[in-house]
Amino acid sequence: MIEITIPKLGLTMESAKLGRWEFSSGDAVKEGETILVIETDKVSFDMPAPSDGIIHPIVPEGTTCAVEEIVGYLAENREEYERIIEEHPFGGAEGTEKVEASQAGAVSQAGQPAAMPPSSAGPKGRIKASPLARSMAATNNLDLSAIVGSGPGGRIVRVDILRVLEEAPAIAGKKVEKPPQEIPKGIAIKEISESIPIQGVRRVILDNMYQSLSQSAQLSLHTEACAEPLIALRERFSRDEGKVSFNAILVKISAMALRLHPRINASVEGDDIRVWRQVHIGVAMEANDALIVPVVRNPDIKTIREIDHEILELIQKTRENKLSPDDLANGTFTISNLGFADIDFFTPIIRPPESAILGVGRITKKPSVRNDHVIPEARIGLSLTFDHRIIDGAPGARFLKTIKEMVEEPLLMIN
Amino acid sequence: MSNRELSCSTALREAMREEMERDDTIFIIGEDLVAHGGIFGQFEGLPERFPGRVIDSPISETCIVGSGVGAALTGMRPVVDMHFADFVTTGMDEIANQMAKIRYMFGGQAKIPMVLWAPDGGGLSAAAQHSQSLENWFVHIPGLKVVAPSEPSDVKGLIKAAIRDDDPVIFFQHKRLFAQTGHVPEDEYIIPIGSAAVKRPGKDITILTYSRMTYLCLEAAEQLAKEEIDVEIVDLRTLKPLDFALIAESVKKTYNVLIVHEACLTGGFGGEIAARIGEELFDYLDAPVMRIGAKDVPIPFSPVMEDFVLPKVSDVVEGVKKVLNR
Amino acid sequence: MKTSKKEKLSLFKKMLTVRAFEQKAGELFQQNLIPGFIHLSIGEEASSIGTCSVLRTDDYVASTHRGHGHMIGKGADPRMMFAELFGKATGYCKGKGGSMHIADFSVGILGANGVVGGGFPIMVGAGLSIKLRKTDQVGVVFFGDGAANRGTFHEACNMAAILKLPIIFLCENNLYASTTPSEYTLAGGSVAGRAGGYGIPGHVIDGNDILEVRNVVEKAVAKARKGKGPSIVENMTYRYRGHFEGDPQKYRSTDEIDTHRKTSDPIERFKKHLQKEGILTTELEEKIKKDVTKLIDEAVQFGQDAPLPRPEDALEDLFVNP
Repeated sequence: MIEITIPKLGLTMESAKLGRWEFSSGDAVKEGETILVIETDKVSFDMPAPSDGIIHPIVPEGTTCAVEEIVGYLAENREEYERIIEEHPFGGAEGTEKVEASQAGAVSQAGQPAAMPPSSAGPKGRIKASPLARSMAATNNLDLSAIVGSGPGGRIVRVDILRVLEEAPAIAGKKVEKPPQEIPKGIAIKEISESIPIQGVRRVILDNMYQSLSQSAQLSLHTEACAEPLIALRERFSRDEGKVSFNAILVKISAMALRLHPRINASVEGDDIRVWRQVHIGVAMEANDALIVPVVRNPDIKTIREIDHEILELIQKTRENKLSPDDLANGTFTISNLGFADIDFFTPIIRPPESAILGVGRITKKPSVRNDHVIPEARIGLSLTFDHRIIDGAPGARFLKTIKEMVEEPLLMIN
Repeated sequence: MSNRELSCSTALREAMREEMERDDTIFIIGEDLVAHGGIFGQFEGLPERFPGRVIDSPISETCIVGSGVGAALTGMRPVVDMHFADFVTTGMDEIANQMAKIRYMFGGQAKIPMVLWAPDGGGLSAAAQHSQSLENWFVHIPGLKVVAPSEPSDVKGLIKAAIRDDDPVIFFQHKRLFAQTGHVPEDEYIIPIGSAAVKRPGKDITILTYSRMTYLCLEAAEQLAKEEIDVEIVDLRTLKPLDFALIAESVKKTYNVLIVHEACLTGGFGGEIAARIGEELFDYLDAPVMRIGAKDVPIPFSPVMEDFVLPKVSDVVEGVKKVLNR
Repeated sequence: MKTSKKEKLSLFKKMLTVRAFEQKAGELFQQNLIPGFIHLSIGEEASSIGTCSVLRTDDYVASTHRGHGHMIGKGADPRMMFAELFGKATGYCKGKGGSMHIADFSVGILGANGVVGGGFPIMVGAGLSIKLRKTDQVGVVFFGDGAANRGTFHEACNMAAILKLPIIFLCENNLYASTTPSEYTLAGGSVAGRAGGYGIPGHVIDGNDILEVRNVVEKAVAKARKGKGPSIVENMTYRYRGHFEGDPQKYRSTDEIDTHRKTSDPIERFKKHLQKEGILTTELEEKIKKDVTKLIDEAVQFGQDAPLPRPEDALEDLFVNP
């Protein structure tokens, strides 16, 4: 059994954030495969597996760990693995929270109580609910563990289910109340902590964002795709010459999808809709506290590996502040990936004069229903914002569906 | 349509007269029937109208019930008057081992078209041996049909059905309801054995009840309506065979059930109904099925104690609120 | 009463039939081919055949747990009797009754009863029915010395007496009620002696003398038929077998049984009478015995060949209108 620990990557390094486990507990890994991405304030580091084995992470993603801290184990074989998982269960309070949160699934979570009423959970976590309430909850896909019962002894009864169903649309506005804090008496004191002039890139972004939203009719659609084929595809590529990024694959998919839906690859100019002949896809990046979107040229006729190289080059240039205006010009579509921040879905803002932008969420395991069974499966959030002045809801939706289908069946890229 | 109001007693008499006119194989046998038409006047006028067909018997319950069985086996349609339902015990073998079983034991060779008419129930200070409600004993014996009507129109319609039925029927008529009046249709009608009826439609809770308790529940429903609780009352009318289809229809609408009977709570018929509802209507229940019955003691003599033991309107009101958790 | 030669031979054959039936039933029971209990009436043939022989087909009989003789006497078919004893679907009661609840309503048998004294109230009802329908039928309720102590006996005698019902209370006093001798249990020492208390006639007779049985019962029947009310007839008799097959019979000695068999057997006595009258020759006796054997063998065969009921048949015949 091998302990997986946070390596000391620099003389002064004391800790690192556990960014992302590339494998789940019980997966077989090969020596040299990246098993873990850790992040310091300077750099993101892909940790390779020290040998072949069966991996068992014990620290959840997002945890800040000290150097040399054990974050997982690598078992030699299945028996050793079985023993390890018993002795070293995954995570702690944090871990189970995550598990519960993801089990909520695509379900309205109204009824999050502010106060603490009699628990509807009986001994051993058994939930007290009338047979009718159970049946109603099952029909409406409600999670009983999130509902507070008003019946005797905290039993969940029919009115409680009805209440949840009525309040469902209102969840968005619901906030969890924080307990009142010490408020100083008198008028609120507000002092300047720092003053930053709006100039340069920030000015451009400010103007562009405002212009974008005020001059076009933007709406966003969200969907979620099974990410297993994507992961498999990336894996397959990795076996040849090293990894390609998910972004590279998604750029390729978007490009092929745009070929099938040319009206998305368009702009408004005066009284005309310009449908562009070429496809150039910008990949949103962060550089020096600002958003920058270098453009990958003609990805529709490039291979994924070529796209990947191009993206890496652009990243490099971005980091070294060596981007040229050519690198940023003439994009016809944009991809923005916030998956690193655990975002599932968002409403990206279109970069004028483009008419659409794809927001990509994180890839994470979620419960999914296949053949009436609930199974864990890697899923990826996909959000599309488009300009309703020239793209209607249905065509927009169809375009997003094509992307989703290609994500789930990469072979569809070959057209 | 007339506004004819009859008492339960008059309704019974009218039914008996009509049936005895229609079919001369019908006769009545029991104790003290001729002089006054029965100790409750229940058959008043019939001995005169049908001489020889209302027969006084000595105090020999085995042979009173037995007469019914033997006569039924040999071509007659007897109505046997049990005097007080409590006295079924003195003729129990004839009821449980003969009346209920002969048709079956003899492979269907014979039929027993007999009615055992038994006045039951408490609230008259008649004390332990003259106040019981024993219907559940007979529900438990295969081979018998058990009927327990409440209002006069049910009494008339069901006694006719019972007499015309070729199978043995035990007919429990509550003593305290003899004087209770109600509308009775003028035209000929029968209420089929095995049909319950909604006596008060409602949406919040289903009360299943029968006999005198139906009236108790109606009164409770009035009180509960003032508190905005809308009670549906299902009068079972026949206990065996039970009209479960109607019960299910009601429960599927209200999701809450309270069973009310005058018989003692423990081992009472309510337990059987509750179990069946649990088995067949489980997913429709928003609360456990609850029952109300008399306290598990013999009926005491003194009115203040008898009132305490028998179910009251307030018991029903509280029971409804408990089920609904209000 | 007058009994012709032909009738006498017929009576003799019937007695032999009962005995053969009972003996065969006993054998089959020993071989475990008959489930449950059987109660054999070997030794009581004069009482059952004699009594039933003076009744019409439309007269009623209420029988007891020891009722095979009553059935055969009243005209029941031994084939369907054996089928019922075997629990078969084509038995008299479709296998639902067995020996203790055997019945044949087509010949007026209102059933055997497993409750001692259970027949009295039923026969009161039948008698009442006869009266109300104004027919001239009569009913005979068979019972034993033990049943005479049940409340139902007294209620029935009383009620039959006051209503002048056309029924005969026919006691087959075989001196034992299961394990208790009537010497011990029967207050007053006589069943017929109780009749006076109810103001009705009571007769004690030698129940093993078939002609005497016929004589006395016939008179009681005639009286009843004329509407003159009930009577008690007490046939003194004896059973050679235990109360039930398998009874260890510690309550009496084998000597006692042998004595009765030797001195008072009803079949032997009637045989002697027939021989003395010149009615019964050896050849005739042989022939009759052969016929009876054949009859019983065929009946057993019928019963054995009969089909078993389907298990779910148990749910039928409860109600006329389910």
